[in-house]
Amino acid sequence: MPSISDIPALPAIHVAIVEDDPGFRDALSKAVQASPDMQLASMAGTRAEGLAMLQGPPADVLLVDLGLPDGSGIDVIVAAVAQWPSCNIMVSTTFGDETHVMRSIEAGAAGYLLKDSSPAKMIDEIRSLASGGSPISPIIARQVLARFRGAAATTAPAAPAPGTASADQVAILSVREKEVLDYITRGFTAQEIAKLMQLSPFTVRTFVRRIYSKLKVTSKTEAIYEARTLGLLPD
Amino acid sequence: MKIFSSRLFANALLAVSVMLLVAVGAWYVQGDGEAASASLHLTQADWQDADGHGFSAPVPVMNSHDLPSRWQHAALPSALPLAPSLLPSPESAAAGEKAVRTTWIKVPVTGALPAGPLVLYGIRIKTDGTVAAYANGRLAYRTQQRGQLWNSLFTPLWFTLDEHDGAGPLKEILIRVEHAPETPVGLSSLWVGTAEALRGRYYLRQWLQRELPATLSAAFMVVGIFALFVWFRRRHEMRYLLFFNLAAVSFVGHLHYYVSLPIVTDWFAWLTSNALLWLLTVVHLFLRQLHGRPLTWLTWTLVGVTLVASVLSIPALGILPVYPSTSLLVPFMYAVTVLMGVLVCTMGAKASWRRSREGMLLTIGVGVAVLLGMSDWLLHNNVVNPEGWFLGAYTNAVTFAMFGGLMYRRYIDAITEVEQINASLAQRLQAREAELEISHRLLREAALRQTISEERQRLMQDMHDGLGSSLISAIRSVEHGGVSDAKVSQILKDCLDDLKLTIDSMEPVEADLLLLLATLRFRLEPRFEGSNITLVWDVQELPTLAWLEPSSALHILRIVQESIANILRHTRADRIRVSTARDEDGGGVSVTIEDNGQGFDIGKALDSAAGRGLHNQQRRAKAVDGRVSWSSDAGGTRFTLWLPLMRKIAAV
Repeated sequence: MPSISDIPALPAIHVAIVEDDPGFRDALSKAVQASPDMQLASMAGTRAEGLAMLQGPPADVLLVDLGLPDGSGIDVIVAAVAQWPSCNIMVSTTFGDETHVMRSIEAGAAGYLLKDSSPAKMIDEIRSLASGGSPISPIIARQVLARFRGAAATTAPAAPAPGTASADQVAILSVREKEVLDYITRGFTAQEIAKLMQLSPFTVRTFVRRIYSKLKVTSKTEAIYEARTLGLLPD
Repeated sequence: MKIFSSRLFANALLAVSVMLLVAVGAWYVQGDGEAASASLHLTQADWQDADGHGFSAPVPVMNSHDLPSRWQHAALPSALPLAPSLLPSPESAAAGEKAVRTTWIKVPVTGALPAGPLVLYGIRIKTDGTVAAYANGRLAYRTQQRGQLWNSLFTPLWFTLDEHDGAGPLKEILIRVEHAPETPVGLSSLWVGTAEALRGRYYLRQWLQRELPATLSAAFMVVGIFALFVWFRRRHEMRYLLFFNLAAVSFVGHLHYYVSLPIVTDWFAWLTSNALLWLLTVVHLFLRQLHGRPLTWLTWTLVGVTLVASVLSIPALGILPVYPSTSLLVPFMYAVTVLMGVLVCTMGAKASWRRSREGMLLTIGVGVAVLLGMSDWLLHNNVVNPEGWFLGAYTNAVTFAMFGGLMYRRYIDAITEVEQINASLAQRLQAREAELEISHRLLREAALRQTISEERQRLMQDMHDGLGSSLISAIRSVEHGGVSDAKVSQILKDCLDDLKLTIDSMEPVEADLLLLLATLRFRLEPRFEGSNITLVWDVQELPTLAWLEPSSALHILRIVQESIANILRHTRADRIRVSTARDEDGGGVSVTIEDNGQGFDIGKALDSAAGRGLHNQQRRAKAVDGRVSWSSDAGGTRFTLWLPLMRKIAAV
């Protein structure tokens, strides 16, 4: 348990919440408020409120629920990416299932939070996210690998030389990143992987963050590729 | 653009081909511009007969002045009238030699002759005996030295008049013809001139009277042979054989227009004289097939006449000595043939009228051939002057054209039919494909409905057994009180875990058992975080389990989960090791979970009511064709789940 004296030098993490379930919202806000290094910046209960909230000063971490009463949280994520570019977006989900998480990551989320996690776990996740790390599950890892394999297959001839990879072009996973994903699909935890790859557990989490941002680019490239294939965009 | 240019090319090709043929023809028959002035047309003649016995060789020099002066005038062309014999016939019979009449024809050459070597051209001398020609009294040309040849009538007269020193300009042509007293002599008008001036005239006659019909006859024969080879491969189609037969009979029947053999009574003569009747019979039989009327009496008449003529004229029998006395019997045979032709034509036309277009075509052909044959008959019998055309040579061409036309129609029809069949085949194929597509779609939909229904059943069963009963017990606990909030919370957490497991079982694990185990570990991780239990993850790559789909995945998840839950619940273990292995024989894979707890009596546990969890594990393992086993002692418990690589029957 970090004591208050350990952190005062660091600026507090500003947390914003878009969540329609008052129970979870309360639990979450309580946990944040109880955390000395965090500050609850703003809260919204609907998509409209969430979008309005984005007009205000940016938070460090934005927690978004996908199932909002007046629309999808994905819209809020997309808007937040544009309006709060420095913000770390996190989606809250009951099951952490592949469909929801992948869609959120592709929209720009950097992580997800399981709603049934203990308050301590939640605070850990928010902290990790704020400092540049991201969580991942084996199923998500497998999906990400598949996504990159598909993207590599569709854009392989245009793959730029290593080092010159521009974000607008195509993102390719590095060998280390792939290794991390492989370990995760085989059930190893971040701690175990860190030991196996001689890294710190936090570095493993930053690898995942990098992978997510590449996935965002890749999914954009894929969307463009698909649009071209469908004839929606000129070549 | 492409179509336009290809059509242009086709038209050009056609034009060039036709022009080529026309040019060659024009070049072949062209007469010189000054042809008329460089030649002299002789149309006046005087003639006289002299009767004797047997043929004799012409003397080398013969002057018309040495002949009796009983000349009669004739304008050429002319068939000279037949005078009664001057010799009493019994005498000639006694002498054993045939009576021979020698006819002298004197053609004076008056007018300006062109300079240079001269040729004499005439369309024909019509006689059955020898021919000799004198120019200015000197023997210049001999032909038919052993009597008439088969092709004599169709071969124009053409010979060079040699110049002799001191002979002076050409004054007179004297022609000596020996022949049977009863056959008249016919002579066409004659031309004298340079070879260049007369060649065109000669070639045209030669080509149209002999070479063109001969070429067509040969072409007919070749196409007939082609038809024969078609028939070899398609024996059921008699018409090809019939066509070959027509070509063969026609070819043989027209050979006499081209061969320079003496006319004697032999098999060739027999073939020649009867072939036309045979041809007519075959055509009639063909016609019958086309119009479908039996015409019984005509058929019998035709066959009868043909048979009678054929048999009676067999050379070995000699009943009808047709040849060499052609002048008597040939006209008769021609008359019979023409009559038969008219009959076949008329009856064929009547039968085919509005019934068979092909029959009408053939009938018209027969009519034309009969007319052509009549022209021969008219010439043979001197009804028309001896400069006429023996058009009978073209009956072959007409027959060829008719049957070629029939074949052409059938060929074009067959191609059209094949094209139509192909088109309709493509259409039918398309229709079938559409049908198949529909039935496939229906099948897919049915399969989808089936899958959905099975999945629904599975989920309902699962919710009923798991989530449903857990929730009921939670509700009961709360209602009856006496249960701590922590306990209720635990029951609800179990429910949520249960639900998560169900959801995980539906995630796309891609038949990867390791990924499934990884997912389970990821779910269970929070439980270990608060405890002091070390989880050792000692797994290795496993082969793909093709049969791994949501329902079997859920069974496996529950088996493993139950095993770990048992350790957490009932043992005091602080170390759990999960490992995977592949059978050495490659038949399956196993998941092993070991703990360092106090162990338990497996037999007793299975028998007791508390062993329900173990029984569930057994049941679930069996459902995926796998098995579970335990080994336990004081040092710990080792649980093994074995799964087959392949399942005998796909799980339903």
